[in-house]
Amino acid sequence: MNILWLGQDGCQDISKVGGKAASLSPLAGNHRVPPGFCLTTAAFDLWASGQEGESDRPFPGALYEELADAYKRLGNRCEESEPRVAVRSSAVDEDGQSASFAGQYETYLNRVGMDETVESVQHCWASLRSERALAYRQQAGLSMNSVRLAVLVQELIAADISAVVFTANPVTGAHDEVVINASWGLGESIVGGTVNPDTYRVRKDGLSVIERGVAEKGRMTVLVPGGTEEVDVPRFMRSQPALEDEQAVEMARMGLDLEEQMGFPVDVECALKDNQLYLLQCRPITTLDRSE
Amino acid sequence: MPDQEESPKKVKRLIPVPPEFPVTWEDPEDENIRWYWDREHFPYAAPPLEGDFWRQALRGFNLSGEELELMFRLDSRCINGYLYMGNRPRYESGEEEDRKKRAGEKAEAYMARMEALWETEWLPEIQDHLAFWDGYDLEGAAKQDLLDHLDETWDRILQLWRIHFLCVMPAYGAMGKLNELYGELFEDGSAFDAPRLYQGFHNKTLELGHKLWDLANQAAADSKVGGVFETRAVEEIPATLEKTVPGHAFFFSVHTFLDTYGHRGDWWGPMYPSWLEDPAPVFKTLKDYVTDLPRDPREELAELAAEREQAIEDVRERLKGYPRQTRERFEFLLEAARVGVVLSEDHGFWIDFATTDRVRQVLLECGRRFSEAGVIENREDVFYLGFEEVRETLSAFPEVDRRDLVREHRAEFNRFAAIDPPPELGTKEVKEDEEAKSPEPEEEPNLLKGQSGSPGKARGPARIIRSIPESSRLQKGDILVAESTSPPWTPLFATVAGVVTHTGGILSHGAVVAREYRVPAVVGVRGATSRLEDGQLIEIDGDAGEVRILDTD
Repeated sequence: MNILWLGQDGCQDISKVGGKAASLSPLAGNHRVPPGFCLTTAAFDLWASGQEGESDRPFPGALYEELADAYKRLGNRCEESEPRVAVRSSAVDEDGQSASFAGQYETYLNRVGMDETVESVQHCWASLRSERALAYRQQAGLSMNSVRLAVLVQELIAADISAVVFTANPVTGAHDEVVINASWGLGESIVGGTVNPDTYRVRKDGLSVIERGVAEKGRMTVLVPGGTEEVDVPRFMRSQPALEDEQAVEMARMGLDLEEQMGFPVDVECALKDNQLYLLQCRPITTLDRSE
Repeated sequence: MPDQEESPKKVKRLIPVPPEFPVTWEDPEDENIRWYWDREHFPYAAPPLEGDFWRQALRGFNLSGEELELMFRLDSRCINGYLYMGNRPRYESGEEEDRKKRAGEKAEAYMARMEALWETEWLPEIQDHLAFWDGYDLEGAAKQDLLDHLDETWDRILQLWRIHFLCVMPAYGAMGKLNELYGELFEDGSAFDAPRLYQGFHNKTLELGHKLWDLANQAAADSKVGGVFETRAVEEIPATLEKTVPGHAFFFSVHTFLDTYGHRGDWWGPMYPSWLEDPAPVFKTLKDYVTDLPRDPREELAELAAEREQAIEDVRERLKGYPRQTRERFEFLLEAARVGVVLSEDHGFWIDFATTDRVRQVLLECGRRFSEAGVIENREDVFYLGFEEVRETLSAFPEVDRRDLVREHRAEFNRFAAIDPPPELGTKEVKEDEEAKSPEPEEEPNLLKGQSGSPGKARGPARIIRSIPESSRLQKGDILVAESTSPPWTPLFATVAGVVTHTGGILSHGAVVAREYRVPAVVGVRGATSRLEDGQLIEIDGDAGEVRILDTD
């Protein structure tokens, strides 16, 4: 299978779809996850089996048709003829595990149309052979040829507000509360640390908001033609709370559901658009002090 | 948040009064605040009755301030004939933050409701006042009735100017805030990008211009009429028209025009004769138009509107990638600015000009009675009496002689009209080691700096125009140089190559209308009327906000 959809059978297999899609797929059933599909490691093999030479390697014809068809179906689901997508890669190692080398995850945001999408997929594939990747693997004593790539193509939510939700306090370790960082625009500014987000703490028992810290939110990531850009937040929005209490509670509730489903405290990335809450990513809180 | 610099210590100092401009404060407390000469609105010296009219009208600001919960009150003083403004806070210390918040909330509410308020409350009230004056028989009124009518007129001025300020605060507030938000969102681009989003809307000032153009078009179509305009001097035209049947009919059309649009003088204030009294400015404009008919202004307006709609679409496309809160704020301010730009002209048509002309007629009636009885020499001398003096004179009439008093006031007026008043008086805050000086203009040999008013460049002879009668000196291709411009001047914009004003900014009336007429304009040019010479070849750059003197002897 060259294409597997989030939520589809087989899309939890890391060796086929990589870590990102594999963790997201089981959640697509009972959470609002933006629709998307994966070009599997098999698709990568198809491309990689051409002759040497990197990004100028042609896109395999039959695969192009499959991708075009999937993109069109994605458009139908999003009710857009040319949906905006995020193109994200995850590497898979020879033992079928997620290849965890820092900074190797390429992401292309706000691609519109087949041309841009295909271009980004090819960039993801080619990045596997980048000098940086090669050097890393050489240092780690890992073979190069055994790494394969899966690429997730997913609807991009033009978030009004993004948030990161922890179902345990990452600083104190407390397990009885949910901590939320929220700010304007896409989550890149929170995750990248370029903005001081608002902070909410919600007590799990009763889902009551016990703290609201409104920060001066100076920067936000917005969509611009061709990609995204981090811009200054207009003055009138800077001290405005990004979340209302009900929205913080809704996020906390989603975090708790996920914690229950996964069986461990979770670090969730989510987005609000037109007051609809979307789940973007969910992973375990590996250490209880925040380090990227 | 950027770090605040340590502010240098400030102290309050008395501003030295120039010896040629002695000041007697009516209230000793007045000396303790800063008063500034409002040159943009009052560039010319005002005789006593005119000064008292403005004193009364400007009290309307404080009535509006109560409704809008403004942060400060405005007081005015007519000092040696010049209108000075002083601000005092409307809150106690410690209340500032709270009051600021309330003022902001009121501003938002009024921006949202401006259109409805204008249609359901403000305009109907203005029209009631107009009906009151138009329904009164001035000439037939008994003395006591006329005195009562005068007092009632004075009360109504206050109510009308309360409406004036209720209009302009949210109207200009919306345009300013939209410009500001646009600048924050899109740092690339020019100062004209945001105003483009609310250009090309029809308003009463443009309506007047369109009707004038229609008249000119009508005249040009009939050689018997057009010929008169082309060949005769302005002062001969009315009498010449009366001589022929088509001319007479056209003359009647002009009067129909004046019935609606003629209740306005040169400038803001009851002392200026209206077009109804002296239609020379209208005939001058018609002559200019007929001799060289400008493009149909309705076509121009349609083009400006199309440009606007495209600009709005472009911005909406860009904002699709932004948070909803940003888009919603933009749409709110855009709608408020659309309403505001029209109100910014329409309130002037109705209040500043139409009602002020009615006030003038009441004052002139007093003057007429006084002059016919020999109490004063000419009807217009009534403007050289203060309001209280007019009341007293009317009460004591006819057993009173005011000719000496008029002479005295006129001499004083002439004395101060000939000089430049100090920009500031009273007390101001300065850095500890500074003197409290009145601001000095910066000088640079052949370059005058101002602000962008309307885009484009123009080159031509500067024509310093101080009043509408002087505007007969304007030739096609001239660059109009004035202190400021008021709505009656705007039809002139169709014939000049460019506009330079001493006062104003991108939102001022002159700039807005210059953009509607697509004429380059530089506004806020300090000293424009004193540093430029009549006939001097200059080049103006509306984008850069600069005026360059080209012939240097």
